[in-house]
Amino acid sequence: MTPVYICCGAGGVGKTTSSAGLALAQARAGARVVVLTIDPARRLADALGVRVGNEPSPVLLPPELEAKGSLHALMLDPKETFDRVVSRFAPTPEARDRIYKNHIYQHASANLAGSQEYMAMERLYELAREDHWDCVVLDTPPTHHALDFLAAPDRMANLMDEGVMRWIVLPASRGGWRMLERGSEVLASVLERMVGNSTIADIAEFFTAFQALWDGFRERSIEVRTLLSAPSTKFLLVTTPAPAARAEARLFVEQLRTHRQPLAGFLVNRCLVAPPNPGAPSFGPDPGLAGWAESVAELTALPERQRARVEVQEANIAELVRGTTAPVWRIPDLGSAVHDLGGIIRISGYVGAVVPEWGTGLGGTS
Amino acid sequence: MPLPPGSAVDALLARRVLVVTGKGGVGKTSVSLALGVLAARRGMRTLVCETSGADNVCGRFGLTSGGYAVTQLAPDLYSMSIRPEAAIEEYLLRMLRFRKLYEMVFRNRVMAPFIDAVPGLHDLVQLGKVFDLERERPAGLVGRRRAWDLLVIDAPATGHGISMLTAPRGMMRLTRAGPFHDNARDVAALIEDPARTAIVLVSLPEELPVSETTELYGRLGNFQAQVACVVLNAVEAGRLPPTYPSLRPALAAGANPAGMDALALADALLRRVNAQDHARASLARLGPPVLDLPDVDAPVLGPTQLDRLADALGGEAEATR
Ligand SMILES: Nc1ncnc2c1ncn2[C@@H]1O[C@H](COP(=O)(O)OP(=O)(O)OP(=O)(O)O)[C@@H](O)[C@H]1O
Ligand SMILES: Nc1ncnc2c1ncn2[C@@H]1O[C@H](COP(=O)(O)OP(=O)(O)OP(=O)(O)O)[C@@H](O)[C@H]1O
Ligand SMILES: [Mg+2]
Ligand SMILES: [Mg+2]
Repeated sequence: MTPVYICCGAGGVGKTTSSAGLALAQARAGARVVVLTIDPARRLADALGVRVGNEPSPVLLPPELEAKGSLHALMLDPKETFDRVVSRFAPTPEARDRIYKNHIYQHASANLAGSQEYMAMERLYELAREDHWDCVVLDTPPTHHALDFLAAPDRMANLMDEGVMRWIVLPASRGGWRMLERGSEVLASVLERMVGNSTIADIAEFFTAFQALWDGFRERSIEVRTLLSAPSTKFLLVTTPAPAARAEARLFVEQLRTHRQPLAGFLVNRCLVAPPNPGAPSFGPDPGLAGWAESVAELTALPERQRARVEVQEANIAELVRGTTAPVWRIPDLGSAVHDLGGIIRISGYVGAVVPEWGTGLGGTS
Repeated sequence: MPLPPGSAVDALLARRVLVVTGKGGVGKTSVSLALGVLAARRGMRTLVCETSGADNVCGRFGLTSGGYAVTQLAPDLYSMSIRPEAAIEEYLLRMLRFRKLYEMVFRNRVMAPFIDAVPGLHDLVQLGKVFDLERERPAGLVGRRRAWDLLVIDAPATGHGISMLTAPRGMMRLTRAGPFHDNARDVAALIEDPARTAIVLVSLPEELPVSETTELYGRLGNFQAQVACVVLNAVEAGRLPPTYPSLRPALAAGANPAGMDALALADALLRRVNAQDHARASLARLGPPVLDLPDVDAPVLGPTQLDRLADALGGEAEATR
């Protein structure tokens, strides 16, 4: 299977930035890489100079980079992906259109809990199966719990569970909710009372329309799960040295364990760097310029303050990785937002070691 | 300019419900708590409601979370975590009256996943709980009309924050009639009332968070009018003397290697301060007042740091570095 790198992490830690950096690093090393990003702000598309769309578009790399491979980027449109899935699994164009037109579907395809996550998995699967990629990098959506999206295929499959479907759809197709099993009378009347008749009809219609897609959906969610648990799929945790990121990160490590996925490494983004030269700063004799003494006083304090911050940071990182053997890569804070290819190129310089020799899988040292 | 002290915050605290939202990690929880601390200091019985499921509020006060139950953090300051599952259960139980019926109807293998997937239902019941809290009558508190003077909602991040605000309307469209519809309408009336509900946007003094705040503001639609202020959080407090840029060449000429490091750090600091001024200026163009909160440079924001943030919000004693 195509190697897949999944960059997870809490909101705003730099998943999108480091996914792009990691993808570029591998392209530089000779791989044909596609990065699938879910960046609601669509900044990355601008940064990489690609159009937003569900098809990978090539990123023009400057010749002086001497990239041996190639980089494509793809910005996920969950709604469009959902439509494609429906279209693929629908047995007839009529069945497809019936779903597209359904009131609940129109609402659900954009808002259904986890649909964005599910669609990311779906698109990832498609890309991993195409044979013109050496490697796929996935930037995950900002979910509160970094691994929520892992459960998305299961959740979707649960929802589409055949038993559930039959239970909801059968009675509807017989003209009402009266044919339900034990307790059904009460249930039907309670539901109708609460959400109104027309909603029940909409829901029933939605499930009826989806009935034809069940098998496709269920099979696919099993395949996605298989891809996720393949040894060629690597999970990277993107985080920051902030202590607050720690709880989130530990939770992620826990979740990976529950899902029996090994953690391939930590990408600690926005690290502070200690000033390289030891000793006290000095600036020569006071030339008698206004503000000299104040400036020197402020300047003199800066390296110490920075070292103190770095020390706190290192303690935080040590605490973060305690008890795991996964390698750690540090990406320095670039001092300003990363919003162009130049910034991504700089980032790629720090994550090249994540994949030391292209094709041999993940390695590295802390 | 940093904070027009007082007035914007006074107007804010005159509301019943504050919805604090912004991009992930910008400081929504910290700002919610700082607002809570400030309100509590002014003698308002304040409840900070966590809604994103993180349940990380009590920990900052060194307390174990009471989850869905109200926990006291400080005098007049309380918190709870409005977990959607708990709110749904409470809501449906009240509608059905009997737990057996609730379990039979909603917690069976068939309905449970469906209920969990109904678009907007989680958001709606969370706001529904806020609606209940807003009307709650005090138990045994004589002389008080309401149990809570102020509810601060630590709302989910950006996109999810918007879907929370629009959930009542969404449910009204989805159901068209029935008690669900009616409840959603009542909740919408509270959340959309500018006299009772204000929105606080939190941003960071960097280019991207600012453009995301701008984008978020744009997407708020009708809710824009309810944005009472934008909080610019974690503003760098470090400053260099105004003459520093003109002295820089002379300083560099005589600097030892460590001195050059210091200059590099100073340049980075200046860049940050400049970016910050830009950030504040572009946020100010949105319309609502911009309030600065200092970067307190502490690993965890506990009561001491939150006190400093509350000082800054209230325009009281400038926080000391
Ligand atoms: N190493 C870095 N140095 C400086 N700025 C950085 C660095 N990494 C990321 N940033 C900036 O941090 C912000 C958040 O980064 P990014 O969008 O990659 O995070 P994310 O985890 O994908 O966020 P979301 O959860 O919203 O998708 C951006 O403004 C980005 O430019
Ligand atoms: N003014 C500040 N000074 C220093 N650190 C801060 C400040 N505000 C927030 N932080 C730190 O930033 C991190 C994120 O803050 P917080 O948890 O309040 O953000 P949030 O928006 O609620 O995040 P989430 O989206 O994950 O819920 C925490 O580590 C917090 O300690
Ligand atoms: Mg992102
Ligand atoms: Mg929070």
